Amino acid sequence: MTLTRRPRPTAGVTGTYLLLMTLAVVFAGPFAWLVLAALKTKTEWVAIPAKMLPETPRWDNFTAALTEINFPAYLGNSLFLSFLYATLVTLSSAAVGFGFARLRGFGKRPLFVVLLSTMMLPQILTLIPTYVLFARAGLVNTYWPWVLWGLAGSPYLVFLFRQFFAAIPTELEDAAIIDGCGYARIFLRIFLPLSKPVLLTSFVLSFTWIWGDYIAPALFLDPDHTTLAVAISAFYLDPHGNPDDTVQAAAAALYVVPVLAVFLFAQRYFIRGIVSSGLKG
Amino acid sequence: MVATASPATRRGWRRYSSRTFYLFVAPWVLGFGLLTALPLVYALGISLTNFNGVSDRWRWVGLRNYAELLGDTDAIASLLRTLAYTAIAVPLTVGGGLGLAVLLNRRLKAVGLFRTIFFLPSVVPVVAMAIMWKLIFNRDAGILNAILEKISVTPISWLVDPNAFYALIILTLWGLGGGMVIMLAALQGVPSELEEAALVDGASRWRVFRHITVPMISPVIFFQVVTGVIASFQVIIQPLLLAQTNQVGRVAEVPQSTHLFMVQVYQEFFSGNRYGYGSAMLWMFFLVILAVTLVVLRSSRLWVYYEVDGEADR
Repeated sequence: MTLTRRPRPTAGVTGTYLLLMTLAVVFAGPFAWLVLAALKTKTEWVAIPAKMLPETPRWDNFTAALTEINFPAYLGNSLFLSFLYATLVTLSSAAVGFGFARLRGFGKRPLFVVLLSTMMLPQILTLIPTYVLFARAGLVNTYWPWVLWGLAGSPYLVFLFRQFFAAIPTELEDAAIIDGCGYARIFLRIFLPLSKPVLLTSFVLSFTWIWGDYIAPALFLDPDHTTLAVAISAFYLDPHGNPDDTVQAAAAALYVVPVLAVFLFAQRYFIRGIVSSGLKG
Repeated sequence: MVATASPATRRGWRRYSSRTFYLFVAPWVLGFGLLTALPLVYALGISLTNFNGVSDRWRWVGLRNYAELLGDTDAIASLLRTLAYTAIAVPLTVGGGLGLAVLLNRRLKAVGLFRTIFFLPSVVPVVAMAIMWKLIFNRDAGILNAILEKISVTPISWLVDPNAFYALIILTLWGLGGGMVIMLAALQGVPSELEEAALVDGASRWRVFRHITVPMISPVIFFQVVTGVIASFQVIIQPLLLAQTNQVGRVAEVPQSTHLFMVQVYQEFFSGNRYGYGSAMLWMFFLVILAVTLVVLRSSRLWVYYEVDGEADR
């Protein structure tokens, strides 16, 4: 039935293609311009009138990007924080999602409503007060905030797991309960192994959240301990203290390429995460 | 204080034990209390003081911060600017996402490639996004002015007033692919029999789209509007990072036209050290967002179509 979805005449197909191709150029343009800027010398970059292509592509900007600031250290910080948070938040959200999907408890429904409403709560509102609190508790410039955020789970991912777990037939756990299996074991041995695609979706999404986050590391971490996101946004300066555009472009390219690569490989997990939350919200 | 002695536990069957449920949801419950509720309450507390973030010599000032806020023309202006930004950016992103989804919901070659190209920008981290667009908006070296010069438009300073506002909108629109993917999934869920029946009955393409397709996917459009509104109220990083940092150091002078409410709050906290006042701003903003969200939610009964036969629970 679905095969014959749209037996449609070819009217306007050429026009659609032209439109799509124009739009594709517009959407892909910024990526191309970033790479071109990264391959230019400083004089080529500031030349008037602006030039599209560099005379010869130069990789100097990339070596400068890696050496002008302590790129490996910031990269390490970004990877460590993203990995730490993604692991914790995925496991904790899975457990909470399991609770909401499979267990009964007093006050479960209102609690779920609270969870859904926090998805609507602008996170920026709590971030600054959290910073003030954590500063008083001596947690600023440590990675503890990310541990706590990870352990707390993310309402969005909880929802993702809940939807997945709720669709699993109850026969599985009935059998396990009859065999004397506790819910902890049921969760760890049956539900987690079944949910590999969702675990991966959750991990990939949460990893990119931290990798891409700017405001939390900018607030909570000193320049020495900060992430790549903060470092590339501000640390590339020429001897006069002005932003070093071409080197910054090279650094930004190095910074986005992993995200794009992960995305292209794990596209369906990204889209699943986005679509299921968007459709069922 | 986990409710261990609730009535449900006395049923004796482990399956319905509240205790197990609370053990599983404890991470989120504790996290919500500690990392969401507590900061909000704390902010409410310091909004009633003149706390400056460092000194312990603060005192209660009652509602004075709120009274000051009502007369603070800069803050009110930035609030109105945020509302204007939301009113422009949300319809454009949602409409644009829907438009692209409609284009891609056809049997065309290379649909997957186009979908990827349109979606890719929405996964780019905001820092990289800002760097990329600063290279494009650059007055002398940027490609946008180079293209405009070809059609003999004099170079435009994109990142200063009043153009910075449009630059911000353009940057926002670049990321509309996330919404497009959701719309596309929704469109593919519309039963084709409905549309085909209407076409057979002689309805025009546009009428079918307007009176069948759009109502069928209106819950998804609605969800996009709600999350879009909430997201655009929060915008702070883009204006901060798009601001020209010509001077030594990192203190960016955010142009007036992109000086959104959260930017103003940020500056009260971290440039002015007015934690009490900044917290009052946060709380007022919280109430404004709540009010706007409720208005949008209430409006849904006017234009959102829900199927009632429960078929959605498959």
